[in-house]
Amino acid sequence: MASASLFKPRYFTADYWKRWFRVASSHDNVATLNPRQIYILPTRWGVLYAFMLILLLVGSINYSISLGYYVTFLLASLGNIAMLHTWRNLVHLQVTILPANPVFAGDAVQMQLQIADTRNRARYAIAAQFESNSIVTEDIAANSSQTFLAPLQTQQRGWQKLPRIKLHTEFPLMLFHAWAYVDCSQQVLVYPKPSANNIAPPISNTGQTGGKNHVARGDEDFDGHKTYQIGDAPSRVDWKASSKGIGMLSKQYSGNGSAILYLDWAETSGLAFEERISQLTRWVVDAHTAQQHFGLRLPHLTLPPNNSEAHYHEALKALALLD
Amino acid sequence: MIKTNENNEKIMMQTVLKAIIDGTSQVILGKQTQVKLSLACLLSGGHLLIEDLPGMGKTTLAHTLAQVLGLNFRRSQFTSDLLPADIIGVSVYDRATSAFQFHPGPVFTNVLLADEINRATPKTQSALLEAMEEQQITIDGETHALPKPFFVIATQNPKHHIGTFPLPESQLDRFLMRITLGYPDAQSERALLKSQAGRHSTTGALIKPVCDVNTLISLQHAVKNVHVSDQLLDYLQDLILYTRTQFSTGLSPRAGLGLRLCAQAWALLEGRDFVIPEDVQAVFASVVSHRLAAENSEIAKQILERVAIR
Amino acid sequence: MPKALLRNTLSSQHMYWLLASLALILAIHAPNLPIWVTASCGLFGAWRYFAVKQLLLMPNRWLLMLLSLLVGAAVLLSFKGQFGRDASLSLLVLMTVLKLLETRVIRDYVFMVMLAYFLIGNLFLFNQSMLTFALSIPPLILLTATLIHASLKSPQNWQFLLKLASKMLLQSVPVMLILFVLFPRIPGPLWGIPQDAYSGMTGLGDNLKFGNISNLTLNTSVAFRVQFKGNMPTNNQLYWRGPVLWHQNGNEWLMPSKRIGLRNEILATTGAVFDYTITLEPHNRNWLLLLDMPTLAPAGGNFTHDYSAVSNQPVRKRIRYTASSYPSYQLGVALGEREQVLSLQLTEGENPRAFELVKSWQSLSPEQKINKALQMFREQPFIYTLRPPILRENPIDEFLFNTKRGFCEHYATSFVYLMRATGVPARIVTGYQGGELNPNGNYLIVRQSDAHAWAEVWLQGRGWVRVDPTAAVSPERIEHGISEALRDSSELPLLARGDFPLLKKAFFNFDSINNSWNQWVLGYDDKKQLEFLNQLTGKKLGLSDLVFWMTGAIVLVMLATSYFLFRQVKAKLNPAQQLYQQYLRKLKRVNLQPTTGEGALNFASRAAQLLPSYQQQILQIASSYNALQYSEQSSDGVQPDMLKQLENLIMQLNIKKP
Repeated sequence: MASASLFKPRYFTADYWKRWFRVASSHDNVATLNPRQIYILPTRWGVLYAFMLILLLVGSINYSISLGYYVTFLLASLGNIAMLHTWRNLVHLQVTILPANPVFAGDAVQMQLQIADTRNRARYAIAAQFESNSIVTEDIAANSSQTFLAPLQTQQRGWQKLPRIKLHTEFPLMLFHAWAYVDCSQQVLVYPKPSANNIAPPISNTGQTGGKNHVARGDEDFDGHKTYQIGDAPSRVDWKASSKGIGMLSKQYSGNGSAILYLDWAETSGLAFEERISQLTRWVVDAHTAQQHFGLRLPHLTLPPNNSEAHYHEALKALALLD
Repeated sequence: MIKTNENNEKIMMQTVLKAIIDGTSQVILGKQTQVKLSLACLLSGGHLLIEDLPGMGKTTLAHTLAQVLGLNFRRSQFTSDLLPADIIGVSVYDRATSAFQFHPGPVFTNVLLADEINRATPKTQSALLEAMEEQQITIDGETHALPKPFFVIATQNPKHHIGTFPLPESQLDRFLMRITLGYPDAQSERALLKSQAGRHSTTGALIKPVCDVNTLISLQHAVKNVHVSDQLLDYLQDLILYTRTQFSTGLSPRAGLGLRLCAQAWALLEGRDFVIPEDVQAVFASVVSHRLAAENSEIAKQILERVAIR
Repeated sequence: MPKALLRNTLSSQHMYWLLASLALILAIHAPNLPIWVTASCGLFGAWRYFAVKQLLLMPNRWLLMLLSLLVGAAVLLSFKGQFGRDASLSLLVLMTVLKLLETRVIRDYVFMVMLAYFLIGNLFLFNQSMLTFALSIPPLILLTATLIHASLKSPQNWQFLLKLASKMLLQSVPVMLILFVLFPRIPGPLWGIPQDAYSGMTGLGDNLKFGNISNLTLNTSVAFRVQFKGNMPTNNQLYWRGPVLWHQNGNEWLMPSKRIGLRNEILATTGAVFDYTITLEPHNRNWLLLLDMPTLAPAGGNFTHDYSAVSNQPVRKRIRYTASSYPSYQLGVALGEREQVLSLQLTEGENPRAFELVKSWQSLSPEQKINKALQMFREQPFIYTLRPPILRENPIDEFLFNTKRGFCEHYATSFVYLMRATGVPARIVTGYQGGELNPNGNYLIVRQSDAHAWAEVWLQGRGWVRVDPTAAVSPERIEHGISEALRDSSELPLLARGDFPLLKKAFFNFDSINNSWNQWVLGYDDKKQLEFLNQLTGKKLGLSDLVFWMTGAIVLVMLATSYFLFRQVKAKLNPAQQLYQQYLRKLKRVNLQPTTGEGALNFASRAAQLLPSYQQQILQIASSYNALQYSEQSSDGVQPDMLKQLENLIMQLNIKKP
């Protein structure tokens, strides 16, 4: 029992208070909530309930109502039993944190937590959340596990350590709030946030820039016009159309699957460091969506052109970890 | 002796089933699950509703199944001006005999493909659904039994286009299963595109019947003999009960019976003479989704993930 | 305090549970509420119900405020501004039900449940019978189920909710009992009690008018119970003394005003003594009834000058007291002047025929006068009846010379009237006479229907002597009780009659249970608590002992409860399932566990993919297990060889951590 263990004298030492909240830590991404890691306090309903019980007790005393005592004491005892039930609903749960797929910074990772009962009892309304993220609630059948999809908001690119997980429950009477923390050593990879700038990827045709930047092929099929943007190759400008006084227009060509694109760190000069990464990410994503072959050239790393899924993730990972 | 006979029979049965599946799958590429599901539906003696966008091979599937099973096949394209008589038949006065002569409609066949059933008026729809339920037709006080076996494979377009009459929920219950075909995977698509004949192969003589009516009836009989243990009934009941607590209208007893029968058919297709929970799970989405007014099979999947096997 | 998990969505299921619980509580409370309150609560409840059904709209804030004001005003009007127990309950119930009309989120819902719990507690303000106790249990279960409903994520069926609620309440019983017995009882009241709190209690009044006692006689509720220690008096000795009336005012007899300052009468007793304990039902007056003649007043009470015992406080709860009485006694041998005047007082100018009658007795001695009067009752056709004709002017004359039909109050008053008219000091004593022996509990039940009135006459040298004129008319009333005295027993309520032995027996059985209930449950107050615990332990316990024992017992019970709650429940598994669990444990070591609804085969395929080197073994185990669980042979009974095979397969499975 948590309440009983709270009163053991050694918990009143300073050492104890330093690590006041015991945290279930995970080994191999599996953590089991043992009795000492469970905390329990009355909820505001619990306080209201206690207040109502005091009213009933005072009434029973004042009017000398024996059966008033009966109701008061039965309900008081019920509150007590509810505490045990709440506590037991959480204890001995086993949490497995499944590896997460990378996401772009600013998006939420849907972390998969497999929470399993180990005591042959069904658990109800178990809530899980990464601290300061939103809560998911699920039931767990006896002796089985349930997948919780807990969202985790990401902010910065790179490896992000998972915050501790809070598991909590108020079943069955909502009078008590039992909770436990799970610490996990896992990290989740966060890709840089793709830039919102709609700067077109640097595509040039025949070796005007001499293959230093990119080699593009298959740009034969005229696809349409777009407004001219700084950086567009002059050969791409549709001078004939632009002369009609409707502004500069560039010709766009489609190069499905056959174009090879070199995305170079140098192309983004003039932008701040993070923005450069962000811009490159945007190009990588666009190129991947278009199923283009692309290569990536970073200060200390060069990835040869490819259009596979693995290559795409490798590129994003390189950008995520660039420093 | 008897045991060997039984075993022989079993082997025979499995061979036939395999031949049916293979035969159909040759035409309907990359859709083995759907082929098996529709076969399970027919083996359970139920009617099948195929819901998908045009051009996904609904008609092909129905046609191929009928051919492989060696059954009579009639196709009826449902339109808004189709009358009940166009489906079930009509009594015509014959001058020579000076009596009414019954001219049976397309419904007098083993497999009726009711194409785009939701284009017909509710009146025509219900005439067909009645025939499906009763396995017979009554016209001018005369009862005409439909051939046995009798299946309806109805197709409908999921998108409610203008001028269609979507089947009401109560009628949907008459269909044992609802399946969707979905896009083929890349490999099958490739194979399909490559094939010279394309879809026309279905009508050709390529498909040989591997089965006849009598074999089919004995297969249907075998389905009913697949063993369902008490533990499995517990599981079935748990599932049904769960839908009743979670949805405003849960599964009906008819749906429950259908689910059991389909699971039995699935077990037979898997070569087992007893049902295991996985059989129930395999047919679950197809049997219950339309009854729970679910758009897709996601809800069925969630139910399965929440009901524990005892 | 952690913030409660607030899920704001309230399903219609939630509302149905809440409505059902409140409806049940309201139904049980209905007798305590004016009809219009019950009706409007029903109306508001129905409104909420139809709002759930989306047939009606919920009232907006302004309408609700208006309704609350209206309802408050209606309560004030209905109770005529008396804001006591009844009015506050009505208001509480109405406000609770109105709150229902703005209950949209879980927060309000839980608040409603708390209010409803409080309403259940209020039931016992009105009635503490065993029936009310029994009636309080279903709403407690229903309400707890309603509360559980709020805490759930996905709705469960009603069986689950009710089962869990009942289980939790049952688990609460042991600690409840400990608290009930050991929690230090504090004698109330802590503050004032509303005036109307005791309006339902009946008993003897402080005056006597024609019709008072015969009305009481129709009431079979228990007035008090008596347990004798040792000997029991005979029926004609069972005179339970209540208020003594001296002052005649027309139709009405009253107690003498305290301002007159009558002297205390002196009592001398001889002979046998009866020791007894009385459990007195609350009657909201001060009388403590005692057998003629007690020597000591019970604790918390004292004697009036004419030896009726009164308590310091009105008797508003069931009390117990012990006393000793002597049937042979001499009371007030010396009669003071003031007493003499008062005991001869009569309103002038009334009942001329009575005065006419006693003129001829003037020469007789007081004893002869008494005999003369009693002789008249005995010899003339006087009838003892509960339904006497109505008497208007000169009631004594009317009764003595015309109607001659009356009840004990008629005989007692006319006897005293005659005595006073002829100069013999006399007074009326009211109280109870007789009682019924309950064979099951060996105690005497005295009911309101045993109410009685008799006379006391002062005789020189003998003091106040009891004379019961009713005995002259109907000796059976005194010897055998009221049911024997009335020729036509249909005048009496069922339980007071003698002609239904089975009913009577059932009643005696019920009453002895009820008596224990009253003694041990309802009467369990601070005194009884200490008395009981002292008897139990043989020691004199103080408050601190009580708290100590209570805490200790609760801790023990909680430990036991925790053990039962937290022990790992082994599901009842068949042999195949037990083996399968073994196999699952093996796979758990490499962090493989089936998810909910994952069958053996699916789980095995998943596991086989992750553990390719064990693929064959795992799949074999799954199919073997499935065959044992689901195949036709398994239904015929246990299959030892198949089991053995599965066991071997599982034994051989030794998964090494990769």
